[in-house]
Amino acid sequence: MPNPCKQTPNTKEDAPSHFPSSGCSQEIPFHNSSSFFSHRKMKLDTSSLESSALTSRGIGIGAEIADAPAFQVPEVADFDGFQKAAVQMVKPAKGTTTLAFIFKEGVMVAADSRASMGGYISSQSVKKIIEINPYLLGTMAGGAADCQFWHRNLGIKCRLHELANKRRISVTGASKLLANILYSYRGMGLSVGTMIAGWDETGPGLYYVDSEGGRLKGTRFSVGSGSPYAYGVLDSGYSYDMSVEEAAELARRAIYHATFRDGASGGVASVYHVGPEGWKKLSGDDVGELHYKYYPVVPNTVEQEMVEV
Amino acid sequence: MSIFEYNGSALIAMVGKNCFAIASDRRLGVQLQTIATDFQRIYKVHDRLFLGLSGLATDAQTLYQRLVFRHKLYQLREERDMKPETFASLVSAILYEKRFGPYFCQPVIAGLGDEDKPFICTMDSIGAKELAKDFVVAGTASESLYGACEAMFKPDMEAEELFETVSQALLSSVDRDCLSGWGGHVYVVTPTEVRERILKGRMD
Repeated sequence: MPNPCKQTPNTKEDAPSHFPSSGCSQEIPFHNSSSFFSHRKMKLDTSSLESSALTSRGIGIGAEIADAPAFQVPEVADFDGFQKAAVQMVKPAKGTTTLAFIFKEGVMVAADSRASMGGYISSQSVKKIIEINPYLLGTMAGGAADCQFWHRNLGIKCRLHELANKRRISVTGASKLLANILYSYRGMGLSVGTMIAGWDETGPGLYYVDSEGGRLKGTRFSVGSGSPYAYGVLDSGYSYDMSVEEAAELARRAIYHATFRDGASGGVASVYHVGPEGWKKLSGDDVGELHYKYYPVVPNTVEQEMVEV
Repeated sequence: MSIFEYNGSALIAMVGKNCFAIASDRRLGVQLQTIATDFQRIYKVHDRLFLGLSGLATDAQTLYQRLVFRHKLYQLREERDMKPETFASLVSAILYEKRFGPYFCQPVIAGLGDEDKPFICTMDSIGAKELAKDFVVAGTASESLYGACEAMFKPDMEAEELFETVSQALLSSVDRDCLSGWGGHVYVVTPTEVRERILKGRMD
């Protein structure tokens, strides 16, 4: 398909570039951060036309991902094989349940707290809701190290944005920063399935961002191996006009049901609320106790009982 | 995950003073999804002999049906119940018959033998018997179970204390395993009675 943007450099050099490079790439679906910068150098962004495997290898295309922190590539004979083995070694199965939804009073964010390594439960008390700054929350699903590091990195970038622009970053902007970073590491084995929730000038904001480079704006999300169970409860109980208590109870219930059915979710159901003043942790209930609270044990009626005469 | 971890299971058998306890979890799952929380894993062969089967649930059920059939034939011919040692040898032989296409099960056998002496044993999936004097474990949580039993076991416990020990060992071990748990099922067998109890555990 001929690219209408491909013109000879001469014609464009004198004229001021009214058209940001994104106008050029509208024909091509783009996610790459490099297109942001290419208008300065008048270099057309064709990286989205190539397969991502080439860009991720970083051979001779260093300029494209100049802004993302660069990691050293190991010098081995069989890089593909090494990469495959490395990805398989650290491949976590996103065993978790996290959810977030927007309603009248803001954003409700909830998660379980179990970390599992295959079948073994390595911890029942992991903090999966990461406080990026007092008005932005991120959820953790996938590799714990990946999520923790990149959320902290995002927090740094958000603060830098505040200092440079004298105003807080929007949820849209924050999620875009994270999505672009993750896209540049696509194919290298990061495992991140996160939701960025916050309150900015336009009101409540919720985005889903993952390590494949996907970024979706939405009103209801659930991520992780327990998400189908959480969606069932969340979708059937959801209403935009809920109060904060009702929404918190819905979120808690959805997480509880996911921990019941999913083996890789459990521990403590934490619920956070993001309002105009920022986030606030509402509750952290042990799921084992929640079960008996929702379904108390009823002693079975004894049909035939032998009694001592 | 391996085929042994497809359904998830946890089993313990422990010896006390003239009694024994056999306990299992109650979860039936398909990998990470929980399908049932009341799955029967321990079967009564006769009043003084219990069989627990961990591993793949379909093989556990089929193996149990074959063993019950063999035991009933034995009862008809010999006009008495099988001794636990004999039953263990029978299970071992049946498992080895399938040496090159095994049942993906690990049985745990517990019974009261002659003079009410408790007998426990476990086997691997092709019939290697492991007799123990104190406790045997099987299932996806077996490593945790070994640790818990080793720490909590005392020789010559009475029935009530044995029940407490087995229950605590089972619950604390399955709380560290994604694939087993969701309650517990404990049988404590003495020469005069069998007490069956359901444990309230974490349902996550």
